[in-house]
Amino acid sequence: MGGRLWRGVPLLVLALLWEGLTRGGLLPPEVLPPLDRVLERWAAFWWGGDLLPHLVTSLWREATGFSLSVAVGVPLGIGMAWVPRLRRACEPLLALSYPVPKQALIPVFMLWLGIGHASKIAVIFVGCLIPVVISSLNGARGVDPYLLWSATNLGTPRHRLLWRVIVPAALPDILGGIRMALSISFILLVTSEILAARAGLGYLCFFLGESGAYEEMFAVVLTVVLLGFGADRLYVQGMRRLLVWHLEEGR
Amino acid sequence: MAVKIEARGLYKVYPRDKGEAVPALAGLDLQVYENEFLAIVGPSGCGKSTLLYLMAGFLDATAGELLLDGRPIRGPQRDCGIVFQHFALFPWKTVKGNILYGLEERKVPRAERERLARHYIAQMKLTGFENSYPHQLSGGMKQRVAIARTLALDPAVLLMDEPFGALDAQTRRLMQEELLALWERKKKTVVFVTHDVREAVYLADRVAVMTARPGRIKAIVDTRLSAAARRHELLESEELVAKANAVWALVREEVEKSAALGE
Amino acid sequence: MRRLWRGLSPAATVYGLLLAWEGVCRAGLVTPFLLPAPSAIAWRLGQQLLAGDLAWHLALSLYRTLVSFALALLIAVPLGLAMGRVRGVRWFCEPLLAVGFPAPKIVFVQVFMLWFGLHELPKIAMATLEGIFPILSATYLGALGVDRSLLWSARNLGTGEVRLLWKVVLPAALPQVLNGAQIALPICFIVVFVTEMLLGGGGLGDAMMLAQRFADSRGVFAGIVTVSLLGYGTMRVVAWTRRLLLHWHVETQVRQL
Repeated sequence: MGGRLWRGVPLLVLALLWEGLTRGGLLPPEVLPPLDRVLERWAAFWWGGDLLPHLVTSLWREATGFSLSVAVGVPLGIGMAWVPRLRRACEPLLALSYPVPKQALIPVFMLWLGIGHASKIAVIFVGCLIPVVISSLNGARGVDPYLLWSATNLGTPRHRLLWRVIVPAALPDILGGIRMALSISFILLVTSEILAARAGLGYLCFFLGESGAYEEMFAVVLTVVLLGFGADRLYVQGMRRLLVWHLEEGR
Repeated sequence: MAVKIEARGLYKVYPRDKGEAVPALAGLDLQVYENEFLAIVGPSGCGKSTLLYLMAGFLDATAGELLLDGRPIRGPQRDCGIVFQHFALFPWKTVKGNILYGLEERKVPRAERERLARHYIAQMKLTGFENSYPHQLSGGMKQRVAIARTLALDPAVLLMDEPFGALDAQTRRLMQEELLALWERKKKTVVFVTHDVREAVYLADRVAVMTARPGRIKAIVDTRLSAAARRHELLESEELVAKANAVWALVREEVEKSAALGE
Repeated sequence: MRRLWRGLSPAATVYGLLLAWEGVCRAGLVTPFLLPAPSAIAWRLGQQLLAGDLAWHLALSLYRTLVSFALALLIAVPLGLAMGRVRGVRWFCEPLLAVGFPAPKIVFVQVFMLWFGLHELPKIAMATLEGIFPILSATYLGALGVDRSLLWSARNLGTGEVRLLWKVVLPAALPQVLNGAQIALPICFIVVFVTEMLLGGGGLGDAMMLAQRFADSRGVFAGIVTVSLLGYGTMRVVAWTRRLLLHWHVETQVRQL
């Protein structure tokens, strides 16, 4: 616990630097509002109830798109590893869609689905799907053949190998891919909300910036950064617990 | 003595995507007797492991016959347990989980499963490590788990693919001794593939020497040692050394042949 | 025959899809506004190429990408090496790296707009910021993992601490540094594209948003195709450069060490 506090010190130093520079008049408030003002506005924003609806909107879009991509991507990737025909059908599509920057799809989804929830969820879904599928596919294909032989020798019939060996053996790869997808999902969420939306944290940040409410804008920026970081931390905690057996994560 | 496993004119050719196919075994004949300890030695790449994998039913022979108790081997064999050089433990299962795995797959009743697991944990000196994961264990411990996992299913035949090849010299020596003690108590048919001629002579009743690739049996040497020779701690009794030298002379010819082939 | 079919089938999936797409559009099942036919998109791409405005936007985007990538390298590599070898630097930067890496940094686009206006600077600053993290974390881990005996022997031969970073730590960590750079370059490109979408000011992203504003679906799809090809091209170039660099370096030297 002391170690964790110690690790927080650099962040504190940075915060003090922010406060000092702005209070000392080195940076004018229209460039960087003082941190204490930002925090104060943040609290007011939060308790005043103006932040919450946007936060909820963003989280809803994020959670839906992200969980859909996991729910589709993991079975699809493992299926591709298991059924050669499925892999041959899907691999070219995967190779084709891999280099497409998913942000470039935002205008198309807006065209098709409008500027509400649906277009954001669709962009997040598509953007997250690819890393999830690829990592599941690679994980499932990369299973040590000796493990499969060993399971066969111990009496596992072929149709049960998938559940008994391939899925657990591929789990570290799959969870790693999902982590990548998680960070992509936040990027896509914010980008699509800044680009065109009527609600959500990205929209709020854009709106506040446009209307010159910089203290509030910085408060929202901090919220988004914390959200992305917090989600990743939470995920990694869960991942560690699931992978206690795994060499790299187990420590 | 009854024949447990018999290979007649066994061929195995590995297909390649491009270029020529690779022959691993070319007309191999071998008889393994019931409850004997047979070691197979030969130069690297001679098809020793291939032969073992054919016996376990992981691979299909290209031609020839391979019989277990007079019946052809097709697909995974219930009666043949295998132990690999690199253990192949399930990394997501604990020591106990690994040992229970095969028992679960064979639908052994829960109480019996628990009893067997406890028995083999004790027998293989794994007590205290039941809940450890494989990555927390030393190489020797891992191999003990792998052996316990296989023995728990009580297979009639134990196939061992260089099981001590990845262990350090001291651990290796202890494991050899333990394996021998185990075999003397349980009396199973053991087919033991190894690089180490002295290990083969120490452990086995008979040592089969394979030719360079494509593999056939070059010779079978009777290497049963007297009890006194077996007791020699560092495997240096005169009897053992003499027999090992005889086997090594045969292996050496093949190693030189395969070196001449550029392998 | 079977092998022929296997070789064909990946291409067959793609051609089949394209044909179906073309067919659906030709049959009038969707309006060209929602989904223009592939042939129409290809036609538009050809027109843009001939007119020369594509080249202009392309040049702008690439220029921004390269500048921000170079900046990211210049900042992240020395910092990463220092983090790997100097305790104080590591202590200060590690938490910032830990918080900054997973955070969606694109939200800073509003801040950079406030600071740097709408033109080149906010775009380059944004892309640099995004590019720094993968390079920094890879370089740091690479420098941290440098074999101790290597450092000891260099020190024993009289190499000073600062020279040590460049002469020993950097070469030994080079594979990881390149790994990071390989991830960072496409990121820089995408971020430039996105900031162009958000802030305008020319470039492929701006061109695409312009097409969208004028309800020019063909232009939007043509933009996606261009960006994807470029993204793919960047990845190939980086992979190729990496192989070129590591060919004489890692495989021949570091592995022996």
